[in-house]
Amino acid sequence: MYFKDIDDVEKRLESANYISSKEIAIIVFLATATEKPILIEGPAGVGKTELAKAIAASLNHELIRLQCYEGLDEAKALYEWEYAKQLLYTQMVKEKVQDVIKGAKTLSEAVEKIADQEDAFFTDRFILPRPLLQAISSKNPVVLLIDEVDKSDPEFEAFLLELLSDFQVTIPEIGTRKAETIPLVFLTSNNYRDMSDALKRRCLHLYIDYPERDAEMRIVRLKIPGIDETLLRRLIDTINNIRKLDLKKKPCISETLDWAKSLIALQAKDLTRDVVLNTLNVILKYRTDVDLAISNIDKVIAS
Amino acid sequence: MVNLTLKFAACLRAIDMKVSTAEVLDCVNHLKLIDVIDEDLFKTVLKTNFAKSRRDHRTFDHAYDLFFHQMNSNIRLEDIKANENLVAANEIDILQKECVDQLAANLEMDQINQALINFLSGEPLTYMKMLRELQTKIEVARVINSNLGQLTERLQIMLKINAIRNLIPQFSGGNFDMPGSNKQKRLNQRLEERLDNAYQLLVKEPVPENESLNVVTRNQKRSQKLGDIPFANLSQTQIEEMRETIRQLVRKLNDIVTLRFASRNKGILDIKKTLRKSAKYHGLPLELKFRNKPLRKGKIVALCDVSSSVWSAARFMLNMLYSLQDCFSKVKSYIFVAQVADVTDFFDRYDTNDAVEKILNEADIEYNVLTDYGATLLDFKTNYMNVLDKKTTLIIIGDGRSNYLNPREHILQDMREKVRRIIWLTPEPEKFWRTGDSQIMTYKTYCHELRVCRNLNQLNEFIEELVI
Repeated sequence: MYFKDIDDVEKRLESANYISSKEIAIIVFLATATEKPILIEGPAGVGKTELAKAIAASLNHELIRLQCYEGLDEAKALYEWEYAKQLLYTQMVKEKVQDVIKGAKTLSEAVEKIADQEDAFFTDRFILPRPLLQAISSKNPVVLLIDEVDKSDPEFEAFLLELLSDFQVTIPEIGTRKAETIPLVFLTSNNYRDMSDALKRRCLHLYIDYPERDAEMRIVRLKIPGIDETLLRRLIDTINNIRKLDLKKKPCISETLDWAKSLIALQAKDLTRDVVLNTLNVILKYRTDVDLAISNIDKVIAS
Repeated sequence: MVNLTLKFAACLRAIDMKVSTAEVLDCVNHLKLIDVIDEDLFKTVLKTNFAKSRRDHRTFDHAYDLFFHQMNSNIRLEDIKANENLVAANEIDILQKECVDQLAANLEMDQINQALINFLSGEPLTYMKMLRELQTKIEVARVINSNLGQLTERLQIMLKINAIRNLIPQFSGGNFDMPGSNKQKRLNQRLEERLDNAYQLLVKEPVPENESLNVVTRNQKRSQKLGDIPFANLSQTQIEEMRETIRQLVRKLNDIVTLRFASRNKGILDIKKTLRKSAKYHGLPLELKFRNKPLRKGKIVALCDVSSSVWSAARFMLNMLYSLQDCFSKVKSYIFVAQVADVTDFFDRYDTNDAVEKILNEADIEYNVLTDYGATLLDFKTNYMNVLDKKTTLIIIGDGRSNYLNPREHILQDMREKVRRIIWLTPEPEKFWRTGDSQIMTYKTYCHELRVCRNLNQLNEFIEELVI
């Protein structure tokens, strides 16, 4: 049992510096209670990855992270044979081969004797575990974060299925490895493409949106203690106004935090027109977006 | 509780959401863990189990509201918890049952009436299924192309709703109450509300949310004279100039792609080759050989409207796509007006520029008809659906002007499920999307990306993002 109840989730997440909504807490509670993976969707920068980190921190579990990208394959995600090491060992034990086949009368007898030894080269010693195998074979329960799973190829997604439903992986040369402890799995997606139904069926779904105004204020207060209240309020209102513009990339929570930090570094007491104009680059990452914000500057700045 | 969840799951399936038995099981298990009286909790549990992507959320909310609030106004969550029996025995319910039975006895019981009667007694499933069939039904092609068939069927349902509405006051009194009593009024009100709901369901379909849709309407300015001239306004000499510019752009892009391939091609160690090489050095593996990892190549399927306004943009896009053929594993192209024709062959046989010219005159397609996107999608679905797979990016180029014919957007949904991405390019700027017969707003729900593409700058930006 990971958490006692839903309130417990909320409290422990907050102690790990993560302000969660009720919905997040409910789903995290259910997922931990029934050992199901969570598929987290939402716009970039609303704290999807951060949630997994916070859960790991609040449970005191190790976090194992697998970043997905186009072309990610099993060798990078699950395990790889350490060929260099195998080759090296082959060279070193070359002489030993003579001893093994000593006394063999025919060629086929010699081959038979060598075959008895071949297991020596396909053992755990020569396996290089990658994140997924690490998560499964860990003695202590871990939190496994499979980040941006929508960027991976359909083949990789199919291969995740075995892992997510049975928590086991099959290595042809060795056999099936069952999980020692069941890891808590988080998958995040930016919705670049739709995930397959089979994958969705195995997960609980959680959608995280931009936080409500009050929640965002709490987050800034938590991460930057001592920020001036009036400045904070105007900052959040301005950010929300900017999000309403037709932008290429909307500023997310981490950008709000960056902005607040830079305002403090600049010792800005208030959010004046000049201050906003000078610091827009902190929150907007495209030139066209900055231009758009500048042309709407009077609408954007909260009174 | 189990019954209720099952019924709700059946309703969700009726509106085309995919709910598996495994999910129902999970959901029931989860409900045991929480306090079901708290509605927020209850709804969150159902939502996290049944609506597995943001797209489904709106449809789910709609169904949830209908099922738990409008239909079962008599279900109190306490009842659910106390016992499995959902039939709350208050007087209005008895009256309601009597009234609905009477209605049923006095109506001709065809499929529509039966569904409506079920709907009135709180079982929305048959009605929802019927609507679903209506929406996705494939009409038999008649002499004149129209979507009247679907409309008449809808009209029939509307008329039947009204007929029942008129009958209600007659039967709602029960056998013993005076007409006009308080109870009768309340019953009338409830039944009327349900009929209103049925009507709303008929005229408004819930549309899936598509927040992740990437709408690109602006672009960065590049310093090119030709870059900002809409394709439709090009003169013959400018078209020639345009080809030259495109050739340069393509060369540049090709260079970038090859560079990326070179830096990424170190794959895992190739044991076979390494051992073979090691024979030279008395079995010492001095030369390590790595497996070349080819770039993951996507397949492109382009579906182009050939009506004049769109074609001017489509020809340049096809031109660029085919010049960059090496970047993709396969490029297939189709053109349409009201039917689809495969023109991949033209590009295989002729030089890109010649092929584009030849397509307009020689493709096997009727040009003198009204553009019909619905019929096009249907034709594509019946004949070419097998070219789509999970590695395909489907590019549709068209203005979405369907001459008020049935847009059949459900087919686009089916296609979305088969491909990796759907990108819609339109030559019309955003301000015209809501005007006249444009169905862009309907179709955009089912696309991954919607772009305005009317000049070289926009086209160039699109191709760059596609290739790199």
